[in-house]
Amino acid sequence: MKLSDRLFGLIATIGALAYGAGALGIQTSFMSDPVGSKTFPLMIATVAFLCGIVMMLKPDDEPEWPVARSIGALIICAAVLVGYAYALKPGGFLVPTALASGILSFQISGKPKLAVITGVSLSVGLFVLFKFVLGLSLFGLPRWLMG
Amino acid sequence: MEIINNLYLGFSVALSPYTLMLAVIGCFIGTIVGALPGLGPSNGVAILIPITFTMGLDATASLVLLTAVYYGAMYGGRISSILLNIPGDEPAMMTTLDGYPMAKNGRAGDALVISGVASFVGALLATLALAIVAPSLARVAYLFGPAEYFALYLLAFCTLGGVASKNQAKAAFASCVGLGIAMIGVDHTTGMTRYTGGNLHLMDGIDFLVAIVGLFAVSEVFFFIESHGKDSSLGVKLGKVTIPWKDIFHTRWTMLRSSIVGFLAGVLPGAGASLGSFLTYMMEKSIAGKREEFGTGVAKGVAAPEAGNNAAAGGALVPMLTLGVPGSGTTAVLLAVLMTLNITPGPTLFADRPDVVWGLIASLIIANFVLLFMNVPMIKVFVRILQVPPAILLPGVTMVSFVGIYSLTGSYFDLLLMTVFGIVGYVFRKLDIPTVPVILGILLGANMENNLRRAMVLSDGDWTYLFSSGIAITLWVAAIAGFLAPFFVRNFLKKPSRPSDAQ
Amino acid sequence: MTSKIHTLLASAAFAVISTASFATECIAPANPGGGWDFTCRQIGKILYDIGQVPNPVQVTNMAGGGGGLAYNHVVSERNTDNDLIVAASQATATRLAQNAFAGMTADQVRFVGAIGADPGVIVVGKDSPFQNLNDMVNAIKADPGSVAFAGGSAAGGFDHLKVLMILKETGFTDIRKVKYIGVDGGADAITQTVGNFTQGMTGDMSEIVGFLKSGEVRALAVLTEERVPGFEDIPTAKEQGIDVVAVNWRGLYVPKGISDADFEAWGNKIKAVAESQEWKDAMAANGLAPFTKVGGDFQSWVDGVIADTVVLSKEIGVIQ
Repeated sequence: MKLSDRLFGLIATIGALAYGAGALGIQTSFMSDPVGSKTFPLMIATVAFLCGIVMMLKPDDEPEWPVARSIGALIICAAVLVGYAYALKPGGFLVPTALASGILSFQISGKPKLAVITGVSLSVGLFVLFKFVLGLSLFGLPRWLMG
Repeated sequence: MEIINNLYLGFSVALSPYTLMLAVIGCFIGTIVGALPGLGPSNGVAILIPITFTMGLDATASLVLLTAVYYGAMYGGRISSILLNIPGDEPAMMTTLDGYPMAKNGRAGDALVISGVASFVGALLATLALAIVAPSLARVAYLFGPAEYFALYLLAFCTLGGVASKNQAKAAFASCVGLGIAMIGVDHTTGMTRYTGGNLHLMDGIDFLVAIVGLFAVSEVFFFIESHGKDSSLGVKLGKVTIPWKDIFHTRWTMLRSSIVGFLAGVLPGAGASLGSFLTYMMEKSIAGKREEFGTGVAKGVAAPEAGNNAAAGGALVPMLTLGVPGSGTTAVLLAVLMTLNITPGPTLFADRPDVVWGLIASLIIANFVLLFMNVPMIKVFVRILQVPPAILLPGVTMVSFVGIYSLTGSYFDLLLMTVFGIVGYVFRKLDIPTVPVILGILLGANMENNLRRAMVLSDGDWTYLFSSGIAITLWVAAIAGFLAPFFVRNFLKKPSRPSDAQ
Repeated sequence: MTSKIHTLLASAAFAVISTASFATECIAPANPGGGWDFTCRQIGKILYDIGQVPNPVQVTNMAGGGGGLAYNHVVSERNTDNDLIVAASQATATRLAQNAFAGMTADQVRFVGAIGADPGVIVVGKDSPFQNLNDMVNAIKADPGSVAFAGGSAAGGFDHLKVLMILKETGFTDIRKVKYIGVDGGADAITQTVGNFTQGMTGDMSEIVGFLKSGEVRALAVLTEERVPGFEDIPTAKEQGIDVVAVNWRGLYVPKGISDADFEAWGNKIKAVAESQEWKDAMAANGLAPFTKVGGDFQSWVDGVIADTVVLSKEIGVIQ
């Protein structure tokens, strides 16, 4: 079937069209040069569009996609990283890092005990490393806890 | 002798205890990163970039550290190839062919030592060649105007794209993604924003460091989660390590030939270390003919690819330093580092910052000796580190990447972007879409567009200005040839499948 | 093993205590390595070295939006923080004038002091037919397309504006016809000029020092009131009859909401830094010229610069 490449090619062509449409909407100022702000993005959109068509017409063999359980693990992992990005500033370094690395560790090995140890020791160890050896300005705990 | 003076300058910069210490640390980390399956030189350098900035290292010190990691990873890649039959990184792929059989025959120690020496010979010769060749290329600075630069960047995309993937359309698409991302932010010529949606975080564009760490480090974590880290147990026992002098002497011409071919493969923009090791292995195999059974564990079969890929690593620095065009994924990452340090690689670099260039070359030579020492007598240390379970290692790598980027920009937004790049990197690699052109696009996209527009300002919109000099025309021809060539030589140059998949 | 854990716990506890004591913070609105980062690190270090602040100054890099992200942060989150200074330069003023900070305006912070400046220069290749600034201006008046300039800032940026200010001063009004290409920094701009792809280079003194010494370029004019110490053979534009002064100052702003007394105190501290030997050495090493203005003086000077930039930017159409 070679569905993956065909599907991705379709997404690529739609993306290229959207990008090109975006290029047409770019604001220009009075002071414009002979090429202008829109030409180069339009060139990119054109090439990307053609690539998408080629991918649809001449797809490669189907890659080995992970099984459903692995996909679930991947989604959890991505969600954890997103949550970590939001939590790092308000939550301080220690707690979000321990949670995030613990969950990642569990997703890789499936051993809860190892995951807890990994999470806690990575969080504390990296904090000491970053804060004291490398001298970064990190807050260990939420700012509101420290007055 | 100008080169002696230059090297003297270089060593006076590089021989301070502090930079020496950085070189040793870099070599150590690099060898580990190289040895770990999946993590290669570009991952290693990408993870360390934010840390070098937060440590407040100056340009020379950061370069020493990062290139030591680069060379270290090139050395380290062979360790897991030989012991696990899993290439530590892509260039080490060919080393599995004879390295693993040698290890199975009970000669793991010999294989590690021979390949270590071959790596040393290849890397050292390439570094010396870099010192000789690069300055003469640097004098072309004043011949490059906007039209020539535009053609040069085009050449980089056409050749790197051509070799990076089996599928031209996918490589070209990856370049477009990178170029498209590079358009985000303030348009330099008009001062107006493009594709930001009014978001202040996007005004400066997307930082290529965020993209690099996302595409190379975070996506690797996803791969490990998918495989649940099963690629970790050692398949071969390593006994006492002795130095097989006879084999080393026997392979001397192999190492020399492979160093030269590897260096040349590295200099070509886009070819890089994988091609270097592939070409040298095939070359030695055909020279030896039927007299030696390549593939059953012969010394030449580990010496050739290791000398080849390490020489290519040195060769890839030539176009990066002298033209500002990276010859491989890792040098693309190093180029990003230089640009962040306010150093513009290119023809003027040798005149503007001789301390940086020669300090770098000197420290590469030093790093080689350090690496020889680490990779032959101390090899057992690294073999032990290979046994750290991925369930501890990978979360650590992720957290280091996140905190590194966070400390650099202080923005949760960049962390989100990094995760997105990680997912994109995972999907792209699954679909066999190369990620290196994406980085190249982000790195060079703005330059490419700006040079096109500058050329048009200077010529009042006359497009023929782009082909108005001999250099520009030559580059255009080379670019077109570089893009089309893979269509014809693909069957000849078909990438060997990963040996681990074949079994 | 247990002793290891104890050490870790102890250091973690120490971490909590040490972060609780707040030091003066200097925000560099860019990644490490650039001019703003240099300003923060140098001023921060000297402030502590000469005893103007009790604790070492904490430098935070906050890159984004050409300084807009840090500006927004200061205005919306730190408006009354009297222990915060932020690195600024002429680029900050130019961007504020050109409304590049998403609607934020210059009166939302207080500009507290400048402690050095990079003088503007106009440079040509050594074989250029132009012997002085007026030769060049006359050539442009005769044929605007015949002279192209290269500079390190984007079109509409400060390097571009320098050329336009000179031409306006001499009565040339068709300034949109002037060819300008913005390249990546002064060294690139000089390379383009030496390679004869452009006929002139506009930039800062610090960018051309090396090339002047090697004799590959000649400086036609420096855009200061007086000739710059160490470069006495370069005439000012003013003495060639073109009264244009344009320097890329390096300085600081503080949040709007701090008291007048705090504002004055910061002005005095910055003045002390400017007068220190350590800063003078740092300036000499980096091609900066002395330029000290602090407190209310500096604020009104910046206001004037911004007003002028607004007028010029409207003429060339960067803003409407």
